[in-house]
Amino acid sequence: MQLRSSFWVGVWPGAFIAVMALLPMLKLMWFGVYGSYASFGTEALSDGGAQLGFWQGWLGLWADDYMRSRMVWSITQAAVSTALACLLGVPVAYVIARHDFAGRDALLRLMMLPFVVPTLVAAMGVLAWWGPNGVVGNHLYAPGSDGDSPWLLIAGNLFFNLCVIVRAAVYGFSAQSATRLAAARSLGATPWRAFWRIELPSAAPHIYSAACLVLLYCLGGFGLALLLGGQTYATAEVVIYTLVAHELELVLASQLALWMLAMTGVLVAMYAKLQLSTAQPRLAQLVALRVTRWSHVGDAVAVLWVWLVCVLVGFAPLLAIALKAATASSEAWGVLWQADTWQAVANTLRFSGAALVAATVLGVMHAACGARLWWWRMWGMLPLMISPIMVAFGLLLLVPQWLDQWGLLVAAYTLLAIPLVSQPVATALAALPPSWLQAARSLGATPARAWWRVSWPLVVPAVRRGMAFAMASMLGEFAVSLFLNRPEWTTLTTYIYQHLGRPGSLQLERAWVLSALLLGLTVLVFVCIEPSKKTNNAVVTGAGSA
Amino acid sequence: MALKCSRLRQRAGAVSTALAMVSMTLAGCMLSLSFSAHAGDKPELRVVAHDSFSLPKELISDFEANSGTTVRIVKAGDAGAMLNKLILTKATPIGDVVFGIDNAMLVRARAAGLLAPLPQSLRDLAISDAVLAADPQAAAASDWLPIDYGFVTINYDRAWFATNKVALPTSLDDLAKPEYAKLLVVQNPATSSPGFAFVAATVQAKDKAVWDWWAKLRAGGVKVSSSWSDAYYKDFTKNGGTRPMVVSYLSSPAAEVFYSDKPLAVSPTGNLNLMGGVYVQIEGAALLAGGQQAGAGEAFLAFLRSAPVQAELQTSMWMWPVQQGAPKHAVMSHSGVQPSAQAIDQRVLTEQSRTWIRQFTQTVLR
Repeated sequence: MQLRSSFWVGVWPGAFIAVMALLPMLKLMWFGVYGSYASFGTEALSDGGAQLGFWQGWLGLWADDYMRSRMVWSITQAAVSTALACLLGVPVAYVIARHDFAGRDALLRLMMLPFVVPTLVAAMGVLAWWGPNGVVGNHLYAPGSDGDSPWLLIAGNLFFNLCVIVRAAVYGFSAQSATRLAAARSLGATPWRAFWRIELPSAAPHIYSAACLVLLYCLGGFGLALLLGGQTYATAEVVIYTLVAHELELVLASQLALWMLAMTGVLVAMYAKLQLSTAQPRLAQLVALRVTRWSHVGDAVAVLWVWLVCVLVGFAPLLAIALKAATASSEAWGVLWQADTWQAVANTLRFSGAALVAATVLGVMHAACGARLWWWRMWGMLPLMISPIMVAFGLLLLVPQWLDQWGLLVAAYTLLAIPLVSQPVATALAALPPSWLQAARSLGATPARAWWRVSWPLVVPAVRRGMAFAMASMLGEFAVSLFLNRPEWTTLTTYIYQHLGRPGSLQLERAWVLSALLLGLTVLVFVCIEPSKKTNNAVVTGAGSA
Repeated sequence: MALKCSRLRQRAGAVSTALAMVSMTLAGCMLSLSFSAHAGDKPELRVVAHDSFSLPKELISDFEANSGTTVRIVKAGDAGAMLNKLILTKATPIGDVVFGIDNAMLVRARAAGLLAPLPQSLRDLAISDAVLAADPQAAAASDWLPIDYGFVTINYDRAWFATNKVALPTSLDDLAKPEYAKLLVVQNPATSSPGFAFVAATVQAKDKAVWDWWAKLRAGGVKVSSSWSDAYYKDFTKNGGTRPMVVSYLSSPAAEVFYSDKPLAVSPTGNLNLMGGVYVQIEGAALLAGGQQAGAGEAFLAFLRSAPVQAELQTSMWMWPVQQGAPKHAVMSHSGVQPSAQAIDQRVLTEQSRTWIRQFTQTVLR
């Protein structure tokens, strides 16, 4: 009986992920290996895999210089990005977790902004700041250099992911018992020693799990790598895209995609395990925030450092966009008075809204079914592991007749948003001490009432946070542009692309204005779904996993 | 205790499921209402097009009113990705009509069995002399209807060449010299159609010697971008990049004038029509094999060749009209005189395009 009800909650999100992510990928692989190449009308399609055998070719991929170099570069850029994010992010998080300074709350919220910025806008922002002709980049490149630099992609990765590390580490440092720390200090530990022996170790699982997530994003990221990596620094995901969309080399693409899946799979398994180990009961008394005294040199330096890192890595590219938009001509601003623009805004909100409903429902169901099962949580991360190109083209083979239906597009958005909802909710659920529910039950509450009055209020912040993330990231979802589209569905992101696809300075200026509009919209949505609360508790209850 | 607790969670799950169902149904109703504007009794014509397809809504509505059909436009990525998607879905076609197959892709589309024959009435439509001269073979196709044409060529930044007092290169050989190669950005032929077009033009011009020429270009410092947007908006000096020459379209200088924030007498960019560096592209439409609505499809093809569309596409898609006698938009004069480029033999193109891409990758990228 119990098994059955749990099954019925979990089967929907589980099946949805299988049908929308796994099945298309398998279908495309199947077609690549056994499909009839004759129907393609080209002779060269089957070279590679067909003669060698699929699995031999799969193993042999590392022997191919080009493929190996792409995979090694994928791993390198992800590792370097993650290491830098931790080196920069952990000290910043510590200062934020311990100090109360003017603008602290605003900073914590602003920090999420890069994460939810549309990929295209982010890439343009990063270029405007770090690029060869960017504000800072101008001074970084050797004269006459091309501007093709591996650091551009890494700067982009940092821009997106620094906040993930910082948020998780702030949570880790905040959710510590004040009494424990006080005990260590009164037993004679210096602040430095207390940090190394107590504060850092107890925050470490949070930092590790965030680092896994960042590695995953960097390794599997598609849009940013396509836009910032350029030709020379194409990652494996970009190669898969080229192979499938332009060369129809399905076998080679499948083999590469399987390697990527194996690598991301290991990362996600580690992430899921770590998330479970961080799921601790809430503590009664948290470390108090220390009010910053500007006369104190250490305090002032720490806070300035925090702002400096955040501004340089996270905000400057966004400011560059705002600046570009602000300096655009009035002719370019006229785009805001065009009906098409508002149609695009309406579409953006409509699609994201519909997908938000579905992703929230499915995500919460997924989390409720098995918050403590690591493999089940791994399954929930599958949408982030599978290459979106494989999904988009697999669906072509699977359900060609539904591809121009809006429902499928919403389903694609939903798929990519589910992990953003389900992971924080699952973490919050797993962290609930069972004794609270048990207490409610022994005081006479029915199970439903106990859940409604105890569990639900405690996970609501996590749900809202997940929703805010999901909504904001859907507003500018890049991977969905791989699916079929229709003019009457034009979203702001595709509308910006359309402008960038044509020559003319007005087009570029309009793209900046529209990007600023999208940025504003994202901020608005974020603020509406997750209103601010100015206590340390607010950080602790929700920020568990970014 | 643990048992009770897990039972609790299941009950909780049940409640959430119930809530889920209710809210999903509500959302579903809401959305089906807001998206069902198109549902009607009229037959629906599905037009597959590449992402650059763009015509004013009013024109499409006029067609819908006149033909008694509803047009559903389905965008399927850039031209290359669109063709691949059509090939993959051949068994269950995703459209009745396709727009955007160009003369270079025609043989592949045909070999994959995508195209259905056209009625004589469409084949009789008169084509402009320029197109007839450029690609007589494609112009005579019985399963593909030319709609517009354009040229891929090198654009240069007038201001940059003027301020740096550098003379323009006058031949492909000039271009391969280090002082010019380092000023040029091209696109990867594997991922970009203008990139492929430019490579094809150079192969046609240089034949066997072409890869030596590209090797020189590489040694001289040519830059390769992955897409037109990347090259034009990131690398071209006109838009803040480091390269004053970019592989683009003949119509781009005109578009620069059209989409300028202040009125311009002269385009900020110019065309560098080097001998052997220009590629002529003819875009067409076709009926898809296995598609429905053949009648409406034919009407749509005829509509694409009608005077209003042929006039409009010049500034919405930045191509020239193929219909004989179709007037040219005034702004197009900023692109200068059309060069006389010969289209590449389609059979050669089909047989060798993969080899060229591979050779290019070997010579210039790896």
